[in-house]
Amino acid sequence: MHDGSGRIVVQNLTKQFGPVTAVQNLSFTVEPGSVTGFLGPNGAGKTTTLRMLLGLVSPTAGFATINGSPFGRLGQPGRVVGAVLEAQGFHPKRTARNHLKVYASAVGVPDQRADQVLQLVGLGSAGDRKVGGYSLGMKQRLALATALLGDPQVLVLDEPANGLDPEGIAWLRTFLQSYARSGRTVLISSHLLAEVEQTVDQVVIISRGQTMYYGPLDHLRQSQQSRVIVQPSDVGALVTALRAEGVQAIEQLPDGRLAVAGVTSKYIADAALKAGVSVYGMQEEQIDLERLFFQLTSGQYAAPGYPGTGYYVQQQPPQQGGWA
Amino acid sequence: MGLMGNLLQSEFRKTITTGLWWGLMIPTVLLAFGWGLGTGFLGKGFVDLASQSDVEQLSDIFGITPDQWRVSLFGIARSINVATIFPMIFGGLAIANEINRRTITTTFLTSSSRGAALSAKMLVYILWGAIFGLAIVLSVALGVILSSDSSQLPDASGWLALATAGLVASVLMTMFGVGVGALMTSVVGTTVVLLLYMLLVENGLSLVLSINGLEQVIGFLPNGSVNGITGSVAADLFMSSAGVVPDELQLALRYMAGAGGAFDWWLSGLIFLSWTAIAFVGGWAATARKDIT
Repeated sequence: MHDGSGRIVVQNLTKQFGPVTAVQNLSFTVEPGSVTGFLGPNGAGKTTTLRMLLGLVSPTAGFATINGSPFGRLGQPGRVVGAVLEAQGFHPKRTARNHLKVYASAVGVPDQRADQVLQLVGLGSAGDRKVGGYSLGMKQRLALATALLGDPQVLVLDEPANGLDPEGIAWLRTFLQSYARSGRTVLISSHLLAEVEQTVDQVVIISRGQTMYYGPLDHLRQSQQSRVIVQPSDVGALVTALRAEGVQAIEQLPDGRLAVAGVTSKYIADAALKAGVSVYGMQEEQIDLERLFFQLTSGQYAAPGYPGTGYYVQQQPPQQGGWA
Repeated sequence: MGLMGNLLQSEFRKTITTGLWWGLMIPTVLLAFGWGLGTGFLGKGFVDLASQSDVEQLSDIFGITPDQWRVSLFGIARSINVATIFPMIFGGLAIANEINRRTITTTFLTSSSRGAALSAKMLVYILWGAIFGLAIVLSVALGVILSSDSSQLPDASGWLALATAGLVASVLMTMFGVGVGALMTSVVGTTVVLLLYMLLVENGLSLVLSINGLEQVIGFLPNGSVNGITGSVAADLFMSSAGVVPDELQLALRYMAGAGGAFDWWLSGLIFLSWTAIAFVGGWAATARKDIT
């Protein structure tokens, strides 16, 4: 069956729906003990990837394993992985408690577990109401409660913030972090980096069905480049001086100023002084994470080759666990 | 409880935690009782008419007097056939509803395999087919008993044979519905197609076939074969208690029992079982391989 490692492995995963390639040769690994963000714009193939991982969609090529085993061979999948998916539904005429009891029996946990998870997600007082009358946020909480029934080692959530109010999002953030901290695996997808930035430790960024980056979010932060915008009296002289010092990342902006990356403003000021160039103005500019994310996913900056810390695109060896 | 036991409990809970089962059970019981009552009165009226001296020669045909004809048999078979429409719809919604409500996602996420989930569903709906069948047989019996003279009623073994045939027909109709629902995947589509076909399309087809002297084809059709299960039992029971019956009259009796063109009850059962298997295996294959997106 499964090895209990809590690791998710996606290896060379490809899915074609007719002529459309939804996911193309995707590979990444998610380790237990952290919250991993699965990021990409809408239509990047996130949902399809998660559904392949969960055995709901069969891959055209490649494989995905949880605990070293494909979903279909987990034996009691509800005890290993819980999932909150977008297109997961409820019968509107069934009460939340009955919904949970239905799946508590399938997972093989006692009925009291239904009450426990209702309390856990804050629906304790609404358990006997029919789900048809639930708000989007309440349904999202109920979906999470369903995923938690089997006390699973791995939690997979597809855009869980949809429909949640800010209070709900803050609650979910805390919940997921503590869940991961207890040594479990949490994979959470989103099309907005900002939405999960404070929740996740690791990120997998995909675009057009391909992996653009995966690794710690901190590494991505560190790779954010700052650049200095400088307005010199003599553009040509400053460029020559900087080039002589070995600075290559110089770009002339349309307004005539220079954008210099990789060096500090003090360094540029010193170089300008030495070259006898006056500096009329200078400012440091940070490329924020969101813009980096946009660049990574806009397709034009399709890695490899993007300057970074060596975590871009499948540079980790494939994780081959004990899957069989 | 083993894994299968867990899934069986889960599937059974699905059926009792929404109002669908009693929403269909109420009309089932009312229709079965109403038909039982109505056909009972009709049969009684017919016998009263036949017992008048001017039609007494009919009795010579059967070798017994009309007041001993077990006319209620035909009504019982017809009533059971009509009422099994409801368990068929109940079955039709089993998978179609899950796909429509998208609860199928959670169902597959919590089962060891799709095959296991579908097997559990199949077993639970067999049970429901039997429950509906029992309710139908009891309601029809009550209606018929209230409106018929005791001499027109079947004997104990007759009741048992009809009850068994009714239960089998109800279980098979439910499974037929499950299969069609899995193939159609639409709640409205499944309901409309099942009702239109069973109530209109095939009856029209049967009429055309009969007119053209092809009534033996009817016994191969879904509705014709499933009606043949109870209809043939009823016709056989009537004839066995009526002595020697001429061939032409046998055919008329079978039509009266709703088994026109149908084969023996067991052969009818096997033919309808084949239809059920086709629908069920097709629906199973579609659901087991489907990408749930």
